[in-house]
Amino acid sequence: MTALAFDPLLPWAAVGALGALGLLAAAVAWWRGLRGWGFRGLAALALTAALAGPVLDSGIRRSLSDIVILIEDASASQTLPGRAEQARAGVDALAASVGALPGTELRRIRLGDDPDGTLLGAALTQALAAEPEGRVAGVIAVTDGRAHDPAAIPAGAPAPVHVVLTGQPADWDRRLVIDEAPAFGLIGQPVTIRLRIEDQGAVPPAIAGGAATLRLSIDGADEQVLAVPPGVVIDVPVTPAHAGQNVVSARIDPPEAAPAQLTDLNDTAVIQIEGVRDRLRVLLVSGEPHAGERTWRNLLKSDTNVDLVHFTILRPPDKMDGVPIEELALIAFPTDALFRDRIGDFDLIIFDRYRIRGILPADYLENIRRYVEEGGAVLVASGPEMAGVESLHLSPLGPVLPGRPTGRMLEQPFRPALTDAGRRHPVTAGLPGAEGAQPAWGRWLRMGEIIPDAGAEVLMTGAADQPLLVVNRVGKGRVALLTSDQVWLWDRGFEGGGPQLELLRRVAHWSMKEPELEEESLSAQVAADRTVTVTRHTMGDSAGPVTVAGPDGQTRTLALTDEGDGRFAASFAADRPGLYRLADGDLTRLVAVAAAAPREFEETVADPAALAGLVEATGGSVARLSDGVPGVRAVRAGRPAAGMGVAAPWIGITPRGAQSVEGTTRRPLMPQWAWLALIAGLALAAWLVEGGRLRGRVQDQG
Amino acid sequence: MTIRPMIRRRALLLAAALLIPAAALAQTELPPPDPRLAAAANQIALAHVATGDEAVDRTAAEGLAGLSLAMALRTTVEPGPPVAVDLDADDLSLLTFLYWPVTDSQPQPSPQAYVRLNRFLRAGGVILFDTRDGDVAGLGAPDGSAALRRLAAPLDVPPLAPVPQDHVLTRSFYLLDDFPGRWSGNPLWAEAPANPADAPAAGFRSLNDGVSPVLIGANAWAEAWAIDDRGLPLYAVGRGYDGERQREMALRFGINLMMYVLTGNYKSDQVHVPALLDRLGRESDGGRP
Repeated sequence: MTALAFDPLLPWAAVGALGALGLLAAAVAWWRGLRGWGFRGLAALALTAALAGPVLDSGIRRSLSDIVILIEDASASQTLPGRAEQARAGVDALAASVGALPGTELRRIRLGDDPDGTLLGAALTQALAAEPEGRVAGVIAVTDGRAHDPAAIPAGAPAPVHVVLTGQPADWDRRLVIDEAPAFGLIGQPVTIRLRIEDQGAVPPAIAGGAATLRLSIDGADEQVLAVPPGVVIDVPVTPAHAGQNVVSARIDPPEAAPAQLTDLNDTAVIQIEGVRDRLRVLLVSGEPHAGERTWRNLLKSDTNVDLVHFTILRPPDKMDGVPIEELALIAFPTDALFRDRIGDFDLIIFDRYRIRGILPADYLENIRRYVEEGGAVLVASGPEMAGVESLHLSPLGPVLPGRPTGRMLEQPFRPALTDAGRRHPVTAGLPGAEGAQPAWGRWLRMGEIIPDAGAEVLMTGAADQPLLVVNRVGKGRVALLTSDQVWLWDRGFEGGGPQLELLRRVAHWSMKEPELEEESLSAQVAADRTVTVTRHTMGDSAGPVTVAGPDGQTRTLALTDEGDGRFAASFAADRPGLYRLADGDLTRLVAVAAAAPREFEETVADPAALAGLVEATGGSVARLSDGVPGVRAVRAGRPAAGMGVAAPWIGITPRGAQSVEGTTRRPLMPQWAWLALIAGLALAAWLVEGGRLRGRVQDQG
Repeated sequence: MTIRPMIRRRALLLAAALLIPAAALAQTELPPPDPRLAAAANQIALAHVATGDEAVDRTAAEGLAGLSLAMALRTTVEPGPPVAVDLDADDLSLLTFLYWPVTDSQPQPSPQAYVRLNRFLRAGGVILFDTRDGDVAGLGAPDGSAALRRLAAPLDVPPLAPVPQDHVLTRSFYLLDDFPGRWSGNPLWAEAPANPADAPAAGFRSLNDGVSPVLIGANAWAEAWAIDDRGLPLYAVGRGYDGERQREMALRFGINLMMYVLTGNYKSDQVHVPALLDRLGRESDGGRP
């Protein structure tokens, strides 16, 4: 490429002015009748042109090679049987035929696994951005077409995009699809899981349309078996039975047909539903207004998950002051409704300094005892009344309470302390301020003396190491006894106070069987690298070993190491995805370990649909490796870029003929002396004409 | 003179050197709490501020004794004998309720006393300020407002408002529409009701079950409650039958006040109990087939 340019010796305005002056002089000459005016004018123009400095620019160019991008999808879905070898052979053959084309470079890109699946769109965009647009002659993607980032697939490319699909025409797969699964569910209330069975690919006629056997179980028990036809959306109700993780596993029996389906990995699904309680209903019965009552109220009312029903005996039946009833704001204690009809609706009944005053008949207390044995919870915080004849311990409720009062009150200041059991029991373990040999808490001033029941657990002690907080299990229920009413001194900050809210909250929630506060617990956490950490919490001195049953049915035992304060832990590497069942005695826990690349195996039958738009926009093609590895030819842009050859199909790349400019040269149009000769010659001609020397010839010509 | 302290100091050093876990030991050997206050904590005794004015302090003690007796006769609460509190010396954290008769002559308590008082208010304690000038207040005569301002200024008092007619104080035991003492007709001030538009109230309201930490009035309640050793009233209230009625209403206010201090918003929550029980029943009918 060469171009004419100007490199004026004077500013353009001066050049123009000189030119105009010369032409004006020529015009004057014409008007005066000078015969050489034409030569004068030409001389002036030549001078002007010389001053404008015409130059010739020319570049030095080099042809560039074309670039073909070859993307090899090496994600986990390409590891399905037969595919890896097929893809590798195809890629190698394609690379060889691209390499055989003259002036063509190959860019090979290997696409690995990502937690989000196969990011083919991102890889395409990145590869196109990395190469100069003018040199890209073609893009070839060897893949199963299952891109998990369809939004990132570019809308167009500068050259044809060819998709070369792996897989076989007979590939088919049946999979389980969970359309909807709740993450939370109320305990005891059914929640709905919406699922369907989907068949993809060339389903063998023997299987097509036939129902699949779906097995559904919660926490590994109560297997439900359903026959589900493919393509039909069904709603399965499941009921979370307990608080915390409920693991629902759904599995379809692998269909037996030849050829076998591509993978079994998408035939199972694990759904974790967090069982949550409906609002907790707490009945607080205060025997009398006292300084600690508002501590209880503050605790229970600050807990948004608690519906509090509170009754305080403001006036005992034996005190009358003759004030007419319409001047009193007192209401009758609805004992009938509370302790006969509705008792089962409460999750916890708290007796706060309650004394038997003839308000609750023995029948009702008997009812409360039965309520506990059938799974209820009773928490008793007692003051001096425990030591007297009106003690709850002497009522029909007494036998289930975790201690027997001796009748002695210990009226002396003492600092509550944790027992060894208290240091490991979830209710009191790690209470704020309990670190160190002696807790940094304020003192209380009195407590009742009790003899704890044999099976009861003493978590805190008070004066003279007498039991202060005792918990026990009765039947299916739980009871807790606080032998002092002065937990409010912690609230008031006497001698610095203490963690009264945390303590009472934990006691209350332990009574209501909060899973996080269970003494004997087995929990497991799965890390990103599929290491499962098993934690066993126990009141005992030793625990384990834990039996681990893997998804393949193999079991192994895992020895636990003691981490102190009742915690034992161990970890193992889960090498296979699926459900692992951990067991230590009666404690079992299911852990779901996800596949390394779960999305890869959701859909496995090769399908170019995700890339179809790009292929169409760029004039590319879709080929299948199962039809033979396509050859690569060079075609002109705009011509068909794929076709069937003699032996195998072919795909086309469009050479771009790109060149690069490596430098430029600039030469004057004429050398300076030539300009001088031209101008001088014209001036001389004008002189000769005007001097008459050329007259004859001019006249001859005229 | 100087030898003995030196010896003592040396002995202390020796003791400290010998007993390295001295800190732990010191913790176990805290001085026993003031027996008067410990008894007050155990028996929910009513307490009043010792103002230094002998007559006022005696009246306060007699008034609280009268209220304590009325409570023991009529309610489940049976308070112990009233306690006089020296703000500069006593630990308030064992108490729940403090009656503070306002006098001009009371010396300003120390800053440490106000630190304790503020901690007491934050931790759920209640102070009733009584300017005892309900007969003259508002007439332009010298009244107790200047002394009240002086004594209460260093306290963390929330915004106050006259107690509205639907306040839980009007129905925590008896139904009341006024809070008379020896005088009547003066407003009782308590923490202003939270603006419903405000975010969930911070501070006293959420910590204290809605109990106002400070109540201020002028009705000289202790004089209306006061009884002598034989249980007879010490001060004349009003005139004739109406006066005795007013004394009865003053006692009813005292009982309502103590129920409010001890049970907080219990009575206003009770309005919701029938609905709550109703809901329990309905849900169980629906939830369990």
